[in-house]
Amino acid sequence: MSDMLRAPAEIKYADELDWLESIDDGPKPFSWRLSPKMVRLFILGSERADGLDRDVEQKWYGDRSFVERSIVTLASDRGLLLIGDPGTGKSWLAELLAAAISRNSTLVVQGTAGTTEDHIKYSWNVSMVIAKGQSRASMIPSPIMTAMEGGVIGRFEELTRSTSDVQDALISILSEKYLSIPELDSDNIVFAKPGFSIIATANSRDRGVNDLSSALKRRFNFVRIPVVTNKKSEAEIVRFRTEELLRRHNIELEVPPTLLDVLLQSFADLRAAAGAATSDDEKLESALSTAEQIGVLEDAILHSNFFGAATLDAETLAGSLVGSLARRSPEDLAILNKYLHGVVEPRSKENGGEWTGFLEGGRQAIATLS
Amino acid sequence: MSGPFDALRDQLLGAAEELGDGPAALPEILAGMVDDVDHALREPLEIFPVCHHSPASALAMVRRLREKQPKVIYLELCEDMAPLLTELRNCRLPVALQAFASELDGFPVESAPLSVIAPITGGSAEYQAIAYALETPGVELVLVDRSTDHVFQWQPAMSAEPDPVGSAGTPEEDLHGDAVGLEIGDLRPRFAELEEHLLHHGRVRHWSEWWDQYVEQPLAGADHDTYRQVMVLIGSLFRRLAPQNTARWDSDEDRERYMWTRIRQHLAATGVDRADCLYVCGAFHAASRLAEVGSADGTPDFEITPRTATKWLYGLIPSSHSAIEAQFGLAPGSVSIAAATWQKSLTKTRLTPFELAGQKGGRKTRKALPPPTAEAVPADQLTGFLSGPPTLDGLDEQELRGWCVDIVRLARRSGYLASTADAIAIFETSILLAGMRGRARPTPYDFSDAAVTCIEKDVVPGRRDVRRLCEILLGGDRVGQVGYDALPPLARDVYDRLAPLGLNLEQRTIQRALLDLAAKPELAACSQLLWVLRYLLPDHAVRPVIGSRRLGEKHVQESWDLDLGRHQRTVIELGYEGVTVEQVLEQRLRRAAWDPKATAAVALKAVEDSLLFLASPRLTDELGNRAVELLAAERTVDDAPVVLRRIRRLLAHYRSTAPALPGWCRRFVTEGYAHYCTMLPTAFVDGEAGVRQVGAMLGFLFSMESLALSFGCDRAQLELAVRQSHPESPAKVALLWAAEHQLGSMPLPELRTRVGELLANPLVVPAFPQYVSGFVQALEPVPRLAPFVVETLSTAFARLPDPVLLPWLPNLITTLRAQAAELVPVLTREAGRTFPGSLAALDDWTAPWNARGTSPTAARVAPTSGAFAFLAEHPATTDAVADLLGCPGEWPLPEPATAGPAALLTDFPDTAAAIHLLVGSPLA
Repeated sequence: MSDMLRAPAEIKYADELDWLESIDDGPKPFSWRLSPKMVRLFILGSERADGLDRDVEQKWYGDRSFVERSIVTLASDRGLLLIGDPGTGKSWLAELLAAAISRNSTLVVQGTAGTTEDHIKYSWNVSMVIAKGQSRASMIPSPIMTAMEGGVIGRFEELTRSTSDVQDALISILSEKYLSIPELDSDNIVFAKPGFSIIATANSRDRGVNDLSSALKRRFNFVRIPVVTNKKSEAEIVRFRTEELLRRHNIELEVPPTLLDVLLQSFADLRAAAGAATSDDEKLESALSTAEQIGVLEDAILHSNFFGAATLDAETLAGSLVGSLARRSPEDLAILNKYLHGVVEPRSKENGGEWTGFLEGGRQAIATLS
Repeated sequence: MSGPFDALRDQLLGAAEELGDGPAALPEILAGMVDDVDHALREPLEIFPVCHHSPASALAMVRRLREKQPKVIYLELCEDMAPLLTELRNCRLPVALQAFASELDGFPVESAPLSVIAPITGGSAEYQAIAYALETPGVELVLVDRSTDHVFQWQPAMSAEPDPVGSAGTPEEDLHGDAVGLEIGDLRPRFAELEEHLLHHGRVRHWSEWWDQYVEQPLAGADHDTYRQVMVLIGSLFRRLAPQNTARWDSDEDRERYMWTRIRQHLAATGVDRADCLYVCGAFHAASRLAEVGSADGTPDFEITPRTATKWLYGLIPSSHSAIEAQFGLAPGSVSIAAATWQKSLTKTRLTPFELAGQKGGRKTRKALPPPTAEAVPADQLTGFLSGPPTLDGLDEQELRGWCVDIVRLARRSGYLASTADAIAIFETSILLAGMRGRARPTPYDFSDAAVTCIEKDVVPGRRDVRRLCEILLGGDRVGQVGYDALPPLARDVYDRLAPLGLNLEQRTIQRALLDLAAKPELAACSQLLWVLRYLLPDHAVRPVIGSRRLGEKHVQESWDLDLGRHQRTVIELGYEGVTVEQVLEQRLRRAAWDPKATAAVALKAVEDSLLFLASPRLTDELGNRAVELLAAERTVDDAPVVLRRIRRLLAHYRSTAPALPGWCRRFVTEGYAHYCTMLPTAFVDGEAGVRQVGAMLGFLFSMESLALSFGCDRAQLELAVRQSHPESPAKVALLWAAEHQLGSMPLPELRTRVGELLANPLVVPAFPQYVSGFVQALEPVPRLAPFVVETLSTAFARLPDPVLLPWLPNLITTLRAQAAELVPVLTREAGRTFPGSLAALDDWTAPWNARGTSPTAARVAPTSGAFAFLAEHPATTDAVADLLGCPGEWPLPEPATAGPAALLTDFPDTAAAIHLLVGSPLA
């Protein structure tokens, strides 16, 4: 077992990446480690028709054209901006892309309200400056600057959370592809090496907080990642992430497929209800994304493993669902209560099975919380 | 070796292996496919497999027709549509052939109207075959597919509602309405799994893209034999993998038997050489191995069932690329892209396509055909197909660059901040995407993906997003038009009669018509027709801007927005219902009134419409009599308000225009009087019947009373009905009181006392608002109650406690607005009369009812009237009569000497006399 709680994609899939690199005979743009076709194969998994000796697992689920457009954007002159609702897998796709293209997905700037231009460009090691004066040695390069120097992919998470003036620091990096250091007299320009590009992510729910300037928008290609509503792919994603989780925690526990169906169906129902709601009070605060589903399942699995009978049952799942989704005390609980009695109860009477336990667990959880 | 069809072969093999019965079944399928191809090629009557909206098919067709120049063409198209084909000359493609039936005989009546359409686009193989056959002397075109009647005969358990495909949003997509669509050469996997498999493994998003990449492009330059063999091969595979034992499969097999039976019949009848014939059908059918398939003598025939007695009408309706896409579930833009590809291939190959003479938008000159080339023995091209070298087009840089520049221009016009830098980026991205997807050159699909990637940001600034702009750029939607000569008589009649307006009604933009009926009385006929069209056509086709048509109204000027160009289909479909719009209107009105669910209100509306739009007293009488019948048979009073409103309007109309009321009106009033009297006691207690309904019933009874009595009704019936009514709900109680007041059994003081008692009783106070609602509704039957209602409302505002009053106020406003909007003016007028108009007057103002309370005598009958003076002079007689009637009365006190105006008058008699003189009335 690795001593990292969560290994980045390039370490986790190092074997696979090595192998793909060894068989890759396609043309590679710049200093890319894999050709665009191989990057796509790494992310979307292999088909039998690809004629490969070993299977490559699918790691990101969604429309094929999104991945293709993203890869092509990185091979072009522009930065890539993945935009979408929370929990749609933007960051995961960004990490996979960076790992496949440059074997380094850790050059990340996290955009927050407190992000400054220094985080994007460089800052100074104050004691070194006092001791030796300003020089390249006393500089602390930002992850983006490091990416420029190495000709690899830099990432900017939650771009729209940082303020507009900070965002605009990216404009010159993306168009001129160099960074000047006016404090230095010589060696004062860092040129980006071929292969450098930026993958940024932005949350569409934050729109309007710190809107991107037109100049910056022009330098990014936008790829919008929608919420997965296809039940089949959603099931795939949940299964994939859960297996990974179980592996990570060394948990021997089986997730019954019927229970997975219950979870998917309940999220589909709640999404439909949110779509039909006319005011914010009538819908859950949660975005009901796939990531949220995984969170619910993860919670239930951990709970069953450590406090339960080491098997996952419907009651625990319902408890986790209520616990994760009830964020505002009267409103969310009321909606969940209505859902349990209006939708789950008739279904449990009609179909029985896991729904009966689910209803019971949900009731108990709501009773505890209210 | 690699070849253009490698990818296709891999895909098909993969699909066969996965979706057949596992790898074991694969050899059988493969052998079967080769056999199918062999079988199709050995048929002496040449089979030409096609696929719909495939430029490659159309190109191959053009080439083949030029080479072979067949004498007879058999086409997979409903045989009864044949006479329509020559009318295509008068149209601009795409149009659709339509068969329509509204009078059904042999089909469930509720499924009417039945409609079948077969769209024809310019770049299709079938159009090439049609144009060749109709334009070349000595060539016969025979449609061999089952008739439209059989389409519905063979439809399993015909549903009352056909597919809701036509309900798409834009008018262009809705061009076909809800007709059943037929396509020649429908070559699409028959089950979702196969399509999904092909899309998934082909790494494309939709079927059209798959077809374009794996079949269309490799086949574009292929010779006839390769084309034919590949198409049969694909047809064969889809056929072998399609789910059998389904209704669709059975129907397809029957169609094949049907078509071949017809072909053999034709061959036998004309004795034409099979080598001179060409059979154009979908690739799916080309691979058929049924016993009844083949032109050889002795092949068993299919027993063709007779058509039903349903009367089918035929016509052409305009179609559009987007309508075809919507109807047949194709990806948006795919038909447009196919059309653009067709045009491009024509330019590149320098082929002259066949075209019907006189076709709108077509070429003018036509060259004679070169002599046919000698027939070659079909060689095995399949082996070549499976291993031939690539002959793909290189990258057409010029074209791609043009697209990139144009899309940026379009995007800018739509509000995007796109620049030349974007054009460069799109160019680069298109090539990268095509490379990644394994294509030699970017397809339009790659290009549109690239454009979306580079231009689309977080918001769409205008009406259209980049993907839609790409569709427009790559050909855009083409909308067909049916020429005047191909229109049904009704549509031609409409255009003829609207000609005096001097507008180009075929244009696909909104035309504004200004009708000055005073200066040009001859336009009155146009106006009349427009109103009829307004009634018959959907909302947007003709829309009045100024002018309205209601009973008793006459306009000197009207202004209309006409959009008949875009609603040509609906006008043409009206043509299936009758020869003139008036006839159609009459049928519609009759249908509405004789509908099993029709009510008296519906029939009255039909009467009103017939008066407005048709000058046909006979029809109006029939509809009126129907209304009487319906009213007498009604068991609910839900429609009472509507009935009252409509009959009032009609009576007013007849009173002002005719010397006497028509017979049906009299009967309606007398029947209505009796009917509502009978229903009244039940309606008063029935929880289902609302206050408004009961109010309207009373309104009918009271306002029609004099008329009804003059026609022989008896008032006692009404009095009895009111006496039998014992409502429980407060609102209805108030209504009953109002009715009793109207009938004279409850004078105003008593009514006032009762209201006072209600307000004094704390247990009833919460329900008081409902009483008020009842009184408001009573304004309809008893308009003279208005002062009392104002008084009651005023009292309620004054005396109701806040917890009751405040929640009720908004309720009162919404109820008034929703249920008694027409009564609000009456109330406001009355309130205006009652309450002072200025602030100054408010100080001295006392409400009339309060004034009455302080000096009861003042409220009594004015003692100045002549009658009163007469009675007062002979009190003994009056007292005796009062005694006899049992109502003890009391005489008002002699009027005290009044100060104010009266005193002023007596003080200055000269002035008073002068004013009287001026006014012209003699002094009393």
